[in-house]
Amino acid sequence: MSSDQTGPEGPSPPSYQLATWVLLGTAVVLVVSLFGVRLEQRPETTRDYPVRAQVPDALAVLMPAPPMSDEYMPCSDCHAEEPANRTPRELEDDHDDKKLAHGDLWCLHCHSADQRDYLHLADDTLVPFENSWQLCTQCHAKKLRDWRAGVHGKRTGHWRGEKEYRTCVACHDPHSPAFKPIAPKPRPRRPEEIAGGSSAIGEHAHDGL
Amino acid sequence: MENVKLFLQFAKGSVLTVVRGNVTYYAWLGLLLLVIAAGLVAYGNQAAHGLITSNMRDQVSWGFYIGNFAFLVGVAAAAVVLVVPAYVYNWGPLREVVLFGELLSVAAIVMCMLFVTVDVGRPEFIWHLMPVAGTPNFPHSLLTWDILVLNGYFAINWFIVTYILFMAFTGRKYNPNLVMPIIFLSIPFAIGIHTVTAFLFMGVKSRPFWHTAILAPRFIASAFCSGPALLFLIFLTVRRFGRLTIPDAALYKIGELLAYAMAVNLFFLGTEVFTEFYSQTSHTAHSRYQWFGSHGVTGIAVYTWLAFTCNVTALVIFMVPILRQSMPLLAAGCVFAFSGVFIEKGMGLLLPGQTPDMLGEVYAYGPSLNEVLVGAGIWAIGALLFTLMVKVASAITRGEFRYSPTPDHRAPARGF
Amino acid sequence: MTASDRDREAKPSTGGSESADASRRGFLKGAATIGVGALSGVPTAAKALEFDIEDFFRKNFRELSDEELEAVLRRVEEKYSNRYGKQVTVSANGPMEGVVFGYGLDVSRCVGCRQCVYACVDENNQSRDPEIHWIRVLEFEREAVLRGINLEDGNPYYEPDQVPQEGKFYLPVACQHCEDSPCSQVCPTGATWQEPDGIVVIDYDWCIGCRYCMAACPYGARHFNWGEPNVPAEEINPNMHIIGNTPRPRGVVEKCTFCIQRTREGRYPACVEACPVGARKFGNLLDPESEIRYLMENKRTFVLKSELETKPKFFYFYGSSVTR
Repeated sequence: MSSDQTGPEGPSPPSYQLATWVLLGTAVVLVVSLFGVRLEQRPETTRDYPVRAQVPDALAVLMPAPPMSDEYMPCSDCHAEEPANRTPRELEDDHDDKKLAHGDLWCLHCHSADQRDYLHLADDTLVPFENSWQLCTQCHAKKLRDWRAGVHGKRTGHWRGEKEYRTCVACHDPHSPAFKPIAPKPRPRRPEEIAGGSSAIGEHAHDGL
Repeated sequence: MENVKLFLQFAKGSVLTVVRGNVTYYAWLGLLLLVIAAGLVAYGNQAAHGLITSNMRDQVSWGFYIGNFAFLVGVAAAAVVLVVPAYVYNWGPLREVVLFGELLSVAAIVMCMLFVTVDVGRPEFIWHLMPVAGTPNFPHSLLTWDILVLNGYFAINWFIVTYILFMAFTGRKYNPNLVMPIIFLSIPFAIGIHTVTAFLFMGVKSRPFWHTAILAPRFIASAFCSGPALLFLIFLTVRRFGRLTIPDAALYKIGELLAYAMAVNLFFLGTEVFTEFYSQTSHTAHSRYQWFGSHGVTGIAVYTWLAFTCNVTALVIFMVPILRQSMPLLAAGCVFAFSGVFIEKGMGLLLPGQTPDMLGEVYAYGPSLNEVLVGAGIWAIGALLFTLMVKVASAITRGEFRYSPTPDHRAPARGF
Repeated sequence: MTASDRDREAKPSTGGSESADASRRGFLKGAATIGVGALSGVPTAAKALEFDIEDFFRKNFRELSDEELEAVLRRVEEKYSNRYGKQVTVSANGPMEGVVFGYGLDVSRCVGCRQCVYACVDENNQSRDPEIHWIRVLEFEREAVLRGINLEDGNPYYEPDQVPQEGKFYLPVACQHCEDSPCSQVCPTGATWQEPDGIVVIDYDWCIGCRYCMAACPYGARHFNWGEPNVPAEEINPNMHIIGNTPRPRGVVEKCTFCIQRTREGRYPACVEACPVGARKFGNLLDPESEIRYLMENKRTFVLKSELETKPKFFYFYGSSVTR
């Protein structure tokens, strides 16, 4: 557009052009706001799936308790002969590997002194070792409720279908029920450590642009 | 039919024009081609190994490329703002130079699209965005909007410059009834591309640094700084090497425009900084990272203050009458404004927005050499495109490249 | 396993060899020989680039007809069976009627052992190198958490000899399967969406890798394949779901799918089964008898970043008032 080029001879008065401009701008804004209403909704994006058959409801399956240690079982092998010493005390000769860390409980709160191969409830009802959870729930009634609902304790298998429950002793040592610390799995790599093993030039410029 | 023949001649003449030039011109082209080659090699490396050649990671998943994209959308938008005073207010001196603004827009948009393309993990599937062939998530995804307006804006500017140059080439008057509405349309589109690009970030509610209503106005204000500043520098260069008469009045007018734009830009920045630091919510973590660094990472803060200093210096130059009247100082001010906005709107927007990341981690991102090379290549492509277009345009406006009835037309366009 | 199987497993990521079966099925394969193959002198040993025209021009998962989907599944099975040298099954099991999945995580029990992280990696065929983890476990100072969780205080890189550490609090984070998921809203290609059972999934073959979803996700749950993903063939999980744990290509985004390949068969996600302290719970939000509904009604729960109104279906809860 050099000076010898003819642009639009006197363009229409500025006010008229401005009006055109404003009108166009308004149109754009209108279109935008119309779509804005639609923008608020999430896209309707799903596949048309065929209806699937229902899978059976949850079915609780009790997993067997972990095996007891052979070293001590059955209790009656050693304890049958001796009369029971019912005084709560620190064990020195035997069972000193068992650290008791379960509230103020002592052996005979749970183990029966009369029937050595049984546990007993507070009302002296005998309970076999396999059903030890019955003892736990005497105090931990709330946990029993959570456990029944599937919220306390580990579940495996199916959220719908066979749901595998475990009894208390599967995870807790009744003598010291707190979770024992374990070694964690390796930490994730930092972004700086994720490098293209084969990239020719991809080194990191730390701290800065 | 006549027009088609003429256009073919126009195209042929254009090609002839761009391949001829003096030593400076060839040296400049050679330099650009060299940078482009380096960029291509770097992109080849990225294509072979994936974006792992960049320093982007899950913590900072948009970096140098998208930063350049955001900045260049601004350049593209603002180059056209000169249209407003030139045509709407019919201010003579600027009319001469508006064409260059349009050309710059075209080049900037091409760079924008290239920056998005290199940032995408699987560019071969970009057709998934297209209507019919793909499934664009329109209108929900702002990215689909951005693609729409960018392409629209590109088409408009491309049409205007080609049409005007073609008519000038044939020595005919262009039809104002055709050109004017399209030029007017380009104005809301210019604002539109930048607003939509700002919305791209503002729509992300989980990133408080971006999720702020002032972002779009800031985008526009800073674009009005970077675009005209770049144009100013280009005009100076073209005047020097291109033997084109660009009146001083036009340059001073741009300086005046820059004074307003930079003042508004800094004012908007101030409102943002106040909101963040006065209230000190958990959202301030991002601004704190931007201005002071956090978790021992302070690299970005240095750049933030550098950008701020650049912008303030530019404002002082543009505002103080004595300084404003010196052409070298004005040029320096434009360099400051351009670099200030480049930092502030590129990495200065992208990195604090993503740091700390969504889970509070601070990753000190900086572009890898490979990223920088790819980016430089794209800038060189843009510069090359712009140079060639300006070559043709200036040859036509100087009247050296003009339709001649003789079939073996030669364009005697020498020099740049 | 035969010797040739093992050979193929040696370089799992370079792709399967041209099998007779494949050509019988009429697949259009653009095979390109790589120098390594030529060295061995056996043409059949040449690694073929897995380029499949039909895969390239495949439609969006949601738009495939049942027949087309079936063809895609068989093709993908073939491709991965060849690549990993073992029989791979790829399903596209749909959602169950009346089921919307919800997840519960007991923060009073989590010990930060990261068993879930690696169970997830194994189950879902995440890349080993470059490393991708869908679950990120953050460690906090317990004292700080008492004043409310500020994610900036979290540290995912803790590595003591043993966990749990005294005075620490652990918070595992993965995809929260938001009801109003910002990621699917912003995806420009519609490559990610929420299924009727609430699982937010990605069509890996449709994703272009623009990473807008990663910018939008408030939980850092989305992960990008920056490099060529790499899963050793002997560790590949052959039980796959097309929008679940099929191996991803380079340059696409991936994330937790609630183990869609397991949960749509009624099974628990892998992380639930891996957790040594039973802190992870999973079930049907629409079933009043489910464990997830029980914990929502009986325990103190919270969701991450509730102020964003993304409505996560991942609920953190305090299962015990006395924590450790």
